[in-house]
Amino acid sequence: MFGCSLLRRAAAVARAWQGLEVLRARRRPLHTSPQCPAFAKELFLGNLELKGIFPFPEVSQDELNEINQFVGPVEKFFTEEVDSRKIDQEGKIPVDTLEKLKSLGLFGMQVPEEYGGLGLSNTMYARLGEIISMDGSISVTLAAHQAIGLKGIILVGSEEQKAKYLPKLASGEHIAAFCLTEPASGSDAASIQTRATLSEDKKHFVLNGSKVWITNGALASIFTVFAKTEVVDSDGSTKDKITAFIVERGFGGITNGKPEDKLGIRGSNTCEVHFENTKVPVENVLGEVGGGFKVAMNILNSGRFSMGTIVAGMLKKLIELTTEYACTRKQFNRNLSEFGLIQEKFALMAQKAYVMESMAYLTAGMLDQPGFPDCSIEAAMVKVFSSEAAWQCVSEALQILGGSGYMKDYPYERMLRDSRILLIFEGTNEILRMYIALTGLQHAGRILTSRINELKRGNVITVMETIGRRLRDSLGRAVDLGLTGNPGFVHPSLGDSAVKLEENVYYFGRTVETLLLRFGKTIVEEQLVLKRVANILINLYGMTAVLSRASRSIRIGLQNHDHEVLLANMFCVEAYFQNLFSLSQLDKYAPENLDEQIKKVSQQILEKRAYVCAHPLDRTS
Amino acid sequence: MSWVLARGLSRGWGSICWDTLSGSHFSQCWRWNPGSCAAKVTPQAPWSLHYSTVNHKDEAWLVPQPSEPQRKPIRVLTPHEELFRPSPDGERDKASFVGAVQNFRQYSVHKRGHVDFIYLALRKMQEFGVERDLAVYNLLLDVFPKEVFRPRNVFQRIFVHYPRQQECGIAVLEQMERHGIMPNKDTEFLLIQIFGYKSYPMLKFLRMKLWLTRFKNINPYPIPRDLPQDPVDLAKLGLRHMEPDLSAKVTVYQMALPSDTPGAEDPTQPHIVGIQSPEQQATLAHHNPSRPVFVEGPFSLWLRNKCVYYYILRADLPPPEEKKVEEIPEEWNLYYPMKLDLDYARGNWDNYEFDIDKVTEGPIFAMCMAGAHDQGTLIKWIQGLQETNPALAQIPVVFRLARSPGELLTSSGLEGPSPLQAPPQGQEDDHPLQPLQQQGQSGVSGA
Repeated sequence: MFGCSLLRRAAAVARAWQGLEVLRARRRPLHTSPQCPAFAKELFLGNLELKGIFPFPEVSQDELNEINQFVGPVEKFFTEEVDSRKIDQEGKIPVDTLEKLKSLGLFGMQVPEEYGGLGLSNTMYARLGEIISMDGSISVTLAAHQAIGLKGIILVGSEEQKAKYLPKLASGEHIAAFCLTEPASGSDAASIQTRATLSEDKKHFVLNGSKVWITNGALASIFTVFAKTEVVDSDGSTKDKITAFIVERGFGGITNGKPEDKLGIRGSNTCEVHFENTKVPVENVLGEVGGGFKVAMNILNSGRFSMGTIVAGMLKKLIELTTEYACTRKQFNRNLSEFGLIQEKFALMAQKAYVMESMAYLTAGMLDQPGFPDCSIEAAMVKVFSSEAAWQCVSEALQILGGSGYMKDYPYERMLRDSRILLIFEGTNEILRMYIALTGLQHAGRILTSRINELKRGNVITVMETIGRRLRDSLGRAVDLGLTGNPGFVHPSLGDSAVKLEENVYYFGRTVETLLLRFGKTIVEEQLVLKRVANILINLYGMTAVLSRASRSIRIGLQNHDHEVLLANMFCVEAYFQNLFSLSQLDKYAPENLDEQIKKVSQQILEKRAYVCAHPLDRTS
Repeated sequence: MSWVLARGLSRGWGSICWDTLSGSHFSQCWRWNPGSCAAKVTPQAPWSLHYSTVNHKDEAWLVPQPSEPQRKPIRVLTPHEELFRPSPDGERDKASFVGAVQNFRQYSVHKRGHVDFIYLALRKMQEFGVERDLAVYNLLLDVFPKEVFRPRNVFQRIFVHYPRQQECGIAVLEQMERHGIMPNKDTEFLLIQIFGYKSYPMLKFLRMKLWLTRFKNINPYPIPRDLPQDPVDLAKLGLRHMEPDLSAKVTVYQMALPSDTPGAEDPTQPHIVGIQSPEQQATLAHHNPSRPVFVEGPFSLWLRNKCVYYYILRADLPPPEEKKVEEIPEEWNLYYPMKLDLDYARGNWDNYEFDIDKVTEGPIFAMCMAGAHDQGTLIKWIQGLQETNPALAQIPVVFRLARSPGELLTSSGLEGPSPLQAPPQGQEDDHPLQPLQQQGQSGVSGA
């Protein structure tokens, strides 16, 4: 009894001390550190890096007014003039719609103002994404143009290149496309076949090859093309390396295949692009010769966060449409809205929309901090979460609608088709999960190197320390990473959720350490493990984002903040239990861990290339 | 009877003992000690015992004999042979077999000699092509008189009651088992009617019910029941059977020409069928051309009752210094790192490979089956392979052909002549194969 109270008092003292620490940390000016602390990476070590996360990032009143001024006309245009159904049926965006989009400046949202663009920050860009999401084809066309198509020029282009290309791209006079994928090369850069050879006079590269599934392929006049070039290494040997080029359609030798017929986003243009002896001047090399791989990676990593707000915008719209239906449709003299199973679906949609919005704006806010922070893991998490939530929610919405949802007369089936692509493009979710998990494990693995080596060598002190910590953990320790308390980062009404987050983070850190100890660098091969690590991390990030946002909403007294608290707590509890389950699946001997069985089943199926079970009606006698 | 009893007990009549009993035991017994035996054992049906006595005069029954069901009935059962004579139109099918059985039942209203008849019918089944017909087996069992052989009391149950009849019933079931015929409910009812629950045929039936179902699909690589007759199809089947990779492509390099084609220089043109997977093709493309590849064979492969021979194209294991370390290119995956930059490896507790003995072997590049077993035919195979594997033109090919595929030949000879099974040229004319005996002497470079 005595020991217990003593412990409790010690914990209280520690909490108070941490609270002070927090205050001190807050008083410190924000921009002293040039680099944004990598929140996700620190999670792998079991730490909550709260700088930049709490309080939830805000925009100034001026910026807000500015963006609201801008959002109005765009929203009006999309609701009144864009006929999504027609775009979907005809398989193309009408010319006058495109012209209007150009005049609204939507083709140059992130192009700096000096080049004629809007120069929006990431947060503002995300805000506009919400509106643009009202039509899938248009948002994909715009994203292909500026999130990847011309992004290379903004990120690594020289001054001359920027001055030459960006103004026309920003105005929409030229449309950009991003040409990376090839028949034999999806994410495998080594198998790129397109080749650029330097001409005799060393003034041109001659480009040959084919690219497939190029969004805007037929509309674009400026292409960012990745091709293999011969590069002389420092040791004198020649090597094939990837180089990025800015290619104008006017350079000649560029032909398009016929537009692909797709499941969704049918209004966007997707086709093959062939390059045949296209002469590209040396000045049009983007970045360095041989540095194309990095360029491609940077472009791909930079654009992902915006999917969060695009999907959130779509979900909000969807909720409006389906609530309308549920509150008017009568069955058994009751409105659909009175049935529990229907209500549950709305709660789900609201929760997902809330979480992804929080994650997306948190990430955008982090990206807008000075010093070009690297938030690629966070962005990837936003993409994975929002694309999967989109698919799930649209499917549930269809369920609310019942038969009407399946009919082409209503927009729901189109939204379902359109949202399916989200899980595939910009890196499939499977690939991004690998990225999320491996990037974090690399960070944690490096920091833990000495510790793990000591453990492996059997250093008595480290081993005893680890065993002691395990013992303490198994006795159920109260984890305190400084979220709660008085004054804490998190509002007391979210205290329980914050404690759950802290516990998850702590045990996640422990699990990562165990995993690294078990697998070392061969963890790359353990994709099932990596998937779970990524899932946990996505949940942790989502929990942090909603706690931060809801705390802010309460403290500044935003409208309906009690609703936000509900959603936040609901998500945190769900995610907490999901995480506990995933963590136990990561345990080698846990009954929840079915990896061996999963592997065996798939192995047998793949060996036979068929479903192997006998038919249930088969007999042996 | 007491004597018989004592004898039986001393021998320890178990579940197998009756196997060695022939019908003569009881016939002898009947002759020697008619009163007691008939009274105890066969009050209702003495005729079956009568019948056997006629033919077994030998006194050698004291010595346990291996049962020879094949022979004995032949000698014995001439009486019913005429039932199975081919009908005037020479048809031998199920209908005529069923007709014969029905004839017997009409002809012998009292079912005299039904045991011998059933043995005879079992032997005749294959001739009539009904050895896989469950209904016919049930019909044969139906020949037995019903209720007669059922034990009536505990003693009859303990000792084999009507052993000869039970043995015959088991013979029917055994033949079913050999042909993989699963007994059904009808069989069960018949056996119960004939022999009762506690009888050896019934025990055999239950065991078949239990085990046949479990063994029916025991082979993970099933072979069709009826093998194709065409040697090319058979070769395709055999090659597919051996090749684990489902993307492997079977190529017919040469079709067999009938040997009497006029004008052909070489009167026979054997078929050549090969198989190669894309992976094997890639390995062959990366083979070091300074090292030879070998054509080896023939190796035998049994497909049900047929033996086919195949050849492989293989190479020796490259020396360790030539082995290329597969390195991960720096700029490979656009989305996630393919390797982690950490200096510690997998822990021992998670290293599942530590106790696996791996015997590394040289690669196998292709397999083939051919209609002739001489070097000339195999050279044509290699030439065919060169079309899809240009690298093969630069690699020396060494033929290491064994003279004969070994003792399996004789057994395949029994199966009936087929161009594949006969190890034909090898045995009939040794000369073309003579130089091949010294292994590796006849290298064909870039054949």
